[in-house]
Parts: sequence; C-alpha cells; structure tokens
Amino acid sequence: MNNLYIARSSAIASRVLAGETMVMSVTDSTFFTLNEVATAIWQAADGVTPLTDIVTRSVCPEFEITPQEALTDAEEFVRELATHGILQVSEQPIPNQDAAIAGAA
Amino acid sequence: MMPLLEEVALHTPVVQIGGIGIALRTSSARFARMVEDRYDGFVTQEGAAQVSFDVELFDPHERERENARRQGTTLQSWESQFDDPFAEPPDDLAVTCEHRIWRIHRGDFDATWNPQTGHGHIRQTVNPYALDSVLRIVHSLVLAQQGTFLIHAASAIRNGRAFLFSGISGAGKTTISRLAPPDTTLLTDEISYIRKNVQKNGMKQQTAGYRAHGTPFAGELARLGVNCSAPLDTLYMLSQGPENHIDDIHPVEATQMLLRNILFFAHDADLVHRVFEAACRFVERVPVRRLTFRPDAAVWDLIG
Amino acid sequence: MSLMYEMNEKAFEHGVPLSVHLDVTYRCNERCVHCYLDHDDHGEMTTGEIKGILDQLAEAGTFLLTFSGGEVFLRRDFLELVAYARKLLFNVKVKTNAVMIREHEAQELRRLGVEQIQISVYSHRAEVHDAITKLPGSWARTTRAIRFLKEQGLKVTIANVLMNGNLDDHKGAQALAHDLGVTYTLDPTVSPKMDGDHSILNLRVPGSVLPTVFHDASLVGNVDEYCAAPSTPGEDILNGIPCSAGHTSCYITPYADVFPCVQFPLPSGNLRQQKFMDIWRNSSQLADVRSIRARDLTTCSGCGHVGTCSRCPGLAFMEGDMRGPSTADCEKSFYRTGLPSENMRRQGLTMPAPSPMLQLVQIAPALVQGL
Repeated sequence: MNNLYIARSSAIASRVLAGETMVMSVTDSTFFTLNEVATAIWQAADGVTPLTDIVTRSVCPEFEITPQEALTDAEEFVRELATHGILQVSEQPIPNQDAAIAGAA
Repeated sequence: MMPLLEEVALHTPVVQIGGIGIALRTSSARFARMVEDRYDGFVTQEGAAQVSFDVELFDPHERERENARRQGTTLQSWESQFDDPFAEPPDDLAVTCEHRIWRIHRGDFDATWNPQTGHGHIRQTVNPYALDSVLRIVHSLVLAQQGTFLIHAASAIRNGRAFLFSGISGAGKTTISRLAPPDTTLLTDEISYIRKNVQKNGMKQQTAGYRAHGTPFAGELARLGVNCSAPLDTLYMLSQGPENHIDDIHPVEATQMLLRNILFFAHDADLVHRVFEAACRFVERVPVRRLTFRPDAAVWDLIG
Repeated sequence: MSLMYEMNEKAFEHGVPLSVHLDVTYRCNERCVHCYLDHDDHGEMTTGEIKGILDQLAEAGTFLLTFSGGEVFLRRDFLELVAYARKLLFNVKVKTNAVMIREHEAQELRRLGVEQIQISVYSHRAEVHDAITKLPGSWARTTRAIRFLKEQGLKVTIANVLMNGNLDDHKGAQALAHDLGVTYTLDPTVSPKMDGDHSILNLRVPGSVLPTVFHDASLVGNVDEYCAAPSTPGEDILNGIPCSAGHTSCYITPYADVFPCVQFPLPSGNLRQQKFMDIWRNSSQLADVRSIRARDLTTCSGCGHVGTCSRCPGLAFMEGDMRGPSTADCEKSFYRTGLPSENMRRQGLTMPAPSPMLQLVQIAPALVQGL
C-alpha cells in the first residue's frame, strides 16, 4: 500500500466554528463542514506528512478509533475532498505553494 | 316624507384562520353576530383580507312559509334555524372551476369565487354548518395554491413544536386530544391547518418546513382551538392497541395515508395534481410515524 | 435546512461574528444620487491598521468578509489588503463599481481567490446609469469590467437599486445581467444618509409600482408563496431576533467605528481605541441591540407580518426607534400581500401614507415647480 500525501488547496476559505471547520471552495462556492476527526486530518494536511502518520499521530490517540478503521475512513474522506478540489491527494509529497496558515484561527 | 334611499347597514366580520382572512359582507346583523360567536378568537373586524365574500341568505322553506301565511297558520320562524345544531348537511357537494372562477355548490349553499381578485359571492341558508363548509373549502383552495392543505387530524403544541394526530373518524383524534396534559396547547381535535414555515431573508424568503395552526373547526370535543401556530415536528398516524409505541412508516405508505386524510373536494385536474405534489413534498420533509396507543394519558410521554 | 443556515444558527448560539462588512474608504469616483455616504476622507485607516483588524477578526471567528466602500480600488493598497485577508483564509467578497477594473485587476482577483464580486448596474442604458452615478462613461467601463471578470471565471452579481431615476429600466437591467451571464438582484431600498439627511428618500419609488415587482417570479421565485398572507405568528416567531446585525454580523467604517450594520449607524465602539473582541463582547450598544426580540417591538409585535416582514432594525433606528416600525418595510409588506401593517392600522391608514415629497406636490404644485 503506497503512502498518500495530502495538502490543503489554496483556493479555499476556512474557519473553525465551535469545534467544526467550515471550508468553502472559492472557485465554485461549494461549502463543507468537517467534524472533529476530519478537522484533525485537515489541519495536518501539510503535503509532506504521509496520511498513515497523520492518522496514527493525530486521529487515533485523540479519538478512540483503531488504526485500520481510521485509515480506511481517512482515505475515503480525502478522496471525497479531492473530487471537490479543496484537498490535493498524491502518492508523492506535495511541495508547498502558498503557505496557508495551519488550521486558521 | 319617505327617504329616497334606505341605508342598509353592512357588517363585515373577517374570519382569519392560519393568518388567511376571509371577509364576509352581510346586511344581516344576526348573521354577523353568529359569525363572531361561532368563530370566537378567530374574528377580526378591521384590516383588509385577501379574500372577501358578499353573503346572501335564503330561506329554503320560503314557499311553505308563503303557503302557511296565506292559510293563516305559521311555520317555525326562519331565523330560529340559526339555533338548530342538529340540522344535517346535504351530501351533494360539487366544487368545480370554469374560466378560472370556482363554483362551490351543495343543497344548502351556492358560492362563486375568483382567485385573481380574491372576491366572491355566497348564497346560503342560515345554518352555520353551511358557512363552516364554505370556509373550509375556500381555505383548502387557497392553501392548494401555496402547496399546503387541511387534514383530518388533531393537532397540539408542546414545547414550542406542533404535533399532528391523523386518522379517519374513530381513529382516536378526539381521544388523544382529551388526554393531552396541561402543558399542551390544543390547536384542533378535528381539522388541522398546515402552511409553509417562511423565514425572511432580505428581499427573498426561505421555506423551512411547515407550521400547524389552530382552527375554530371543532369535532366532538366541541372546543375551539387556540388561534396561534408552531413549527410542525411530526405527523402521527393513529392506531389503537394494547401498548403505546411509535413505528416508522415507509414514505410511499405515508404519502398514501396522508392523501387519504387531506380535505379535498375539487374536481379539477390541476388542483388534484398540486395537492399530490404537496403531499409528496410534505412526506419528504416531515417525519410521518404510526402511533399506536391505548386510551390513557401515558401516550403523551412519547410526544414532544 | 442548508448547511450555511446551520452554521449561522451555530454562530448565533456561540455569539460568533461570522460575517463582517468592512468599508475601506468612503472616497469614490462616482457620486450616485442615492448614496448614503459622505465621500470626503476624514482620516481613513492605514494599511497597517486594517491588517491588524483583519488579524483580530480571524481570531474572533469571522469567516465571511466583504470589502466595500466608497470605491475600494481608490485605495492603492486594496489588492494587498485582499491578499492579506486571503492568507487569513477569509471568504472574501468585494463590492465595487468596477470602473477601475481592467485585465490586470481581474487576474489578480482571480489569483487571490476572491469568491464573489458584486457590482452595481442601474440600467441597460448607459445614459440612465451614468445619470445616477454622475460619472460619464461609467456604464461602459463597468460592463466591460464585468466581461473581464467573467473571462477570469469569477462569480459576479449585478445589484440594481430600484429608484425613481431607473424605474422603467429594471427589466432591461435584468436582461443585461442574463446576457452577461451573471446573477441579478433588485432592491427597492433607499436608505437615509448616514449623517441623518433624509432628503434622498425622495428617490424611493412610489409604493404603487411595488406589486408588479413582487409578483415577478423571475425576481421573487414562487409568487403564490411570496405574496401569501402571513401565517398566524407563534411563540417561536415572537422569540425570534430581528436580523443577524449584532448577533452574527457587524460593520466597520473606514474610521474604525463598529456598527451593527452598514444600514444601522449606531456607533458601538472604535477599533482605534479598543480591541475588536472587547467591543464585540462588552459594547453596551451591541448588548442593547442583542436584547431585542420580536415580542419587544413596540408596534410590530402585534402585527400579522411580524414573522415575514423585511423590517430592517437599522431603518427603524434611523426613523427614531430601533424597537419601532420601519415605515418603508410596512409599505413593502403591504404591497406584497395587500394587508396593512399594525403600524398603518394604528395611524388609521388602509394604504401607506404618501411620501412627504408627494404630499407637497398634491397640496401646492406651485411650490414644487421651482425645484
């Protein structure tokens, strides 16, 4: 199983509101909210940390999920966000284009 | 000297149900008083209404009275028919639309109504049941235009949310109404009034669900509902049984049950279509569940 | 309900200023006849001041940021401010007359990821539009700019204000928007000037033209629903708030004053003296605005329209009482439904009262001729 690398797109707006992250694509105005698990993955999506590491470090300890479950869910989740253009997913590390402030306020 | 013109006093009580006012213009003070009394809590004198009717009263026994008068005997005074609670309404209702004018006809009334102008004419006997029927029919036509309806259901407000209890005669609408605890506001035990829940949003408006409204149409409970409204939470289809429980209903079955309980009278293809659409949309947005209950107050622990 | 609606509900529960409208200058290259602003610069905020405020707004949880003015492009640092806001991941919307937007500006707005641009166009006819903006050639430049923006794939809306000067052209403007491939909104609201001058209200269209607008499905959606008599209000409606101003949104002037809304000029604190969160949490003016529920409205609480009226608390405030009626909105509710408001009823009116200008004409035509 190849490692996946994920990076937040720069063509988005986001803000945390009471534990959830609101994300809006500025290109097509589609709007999402990310729950706490999804927010943890989103905030760690720096382009260079493999998804498996994000899951074991940020997801499993915080939320009581097994690594296998968490990884399966995470892969599905990131592909979903990728189809909407708000997350880049690649089998190679993704170089930093425009340093978005991690996680925003 | 005889006056050239006689002034006829005109009374215009407005019966307002669900926020929709119907003005009834009449020269009969007695009729106006009957309206104010029968729809107490739902009558306002002032203010424009979107719908208005000129009401003309007729005596169905006029010929007999004429004969009696000529023979020197008397018949029961026609006005005392106002007080007859046991007069049975005739069965032959016809509601049709031609050239955009509605005609509503039954043995005891004949009405026409133009939805464009909002104005119409009613010719009816003095029996108040005739007016109940005309009002219900006109409201159902207005609501159909807006995508909602009247439904055979009791409704009540608990904790700021409205609940409907539907079913045919004998299903338990009056029973469940009677069992309602003091913290519940009864809207009706017989005919529920549903409108869209509109929220303002600048120049546009948004529809978010539905609202149930109190009506003066009382069933066996013989009590007028409170004239207010609340956002609709759930529609319960009633069933009686040994234990109280709530079950889901498949949307298709829910739509069928809803259609059976919607008050609808008109022989008009366009309107039938609208009502069908309205029912489908309703089931998409409002939970419809089966409530089986035994006739004791504990059922209300499951509600609201 | 939609996700955005749910987020607004959540923001309300948590007292978060989700949307902020920030005017970066009152200077303008146009002089629209209906504008409520004083266009002289009385010491607008510096680049540094604005960036500092943007930092504070991001911290406070603001997500939707609208830049407006005056004309935003008159500020040399405007694109720099947009870039800064985008770095803070705001969803940025820009209101502009677009007169100064050429290919470069359009490319920049695209590159920076501005989500939406709103541009005022008052007619499909240049002469009518230019007579309102008082800037010859503005219609041509504005419509050309809209094309540049559309070429860049940006989301553009044309906002038209219905007033006496363009009354006959609103369908034409709508058609123009359609041809340009942009959304169109029409608003009959003309606000008094911020300094209290009410004379521009004479530009408001006579109420009698409103029914046509309100019965236009291309503007309002489902007409039967839009023009229906309002539902009997219930407890939930009486417990409702008038609007988001002061609850989940607010307005900041180029001079760092905080108001509940651009149309509600109640000074609630100044960001040159206090931190934003301090004002947002502790301002007594905002607390007063936040305390108002529909049941507290002196006249409107008893009105059948209370749940559906477009009543703007800011217009009510400018009329004299933030808990009182907004006569312009009584008029709209009346022309939308045919049903008078409680405010009208208390004055014994079955129709809205004619505007002061109209009354003058009826009483003394000779006096008006000289105007």
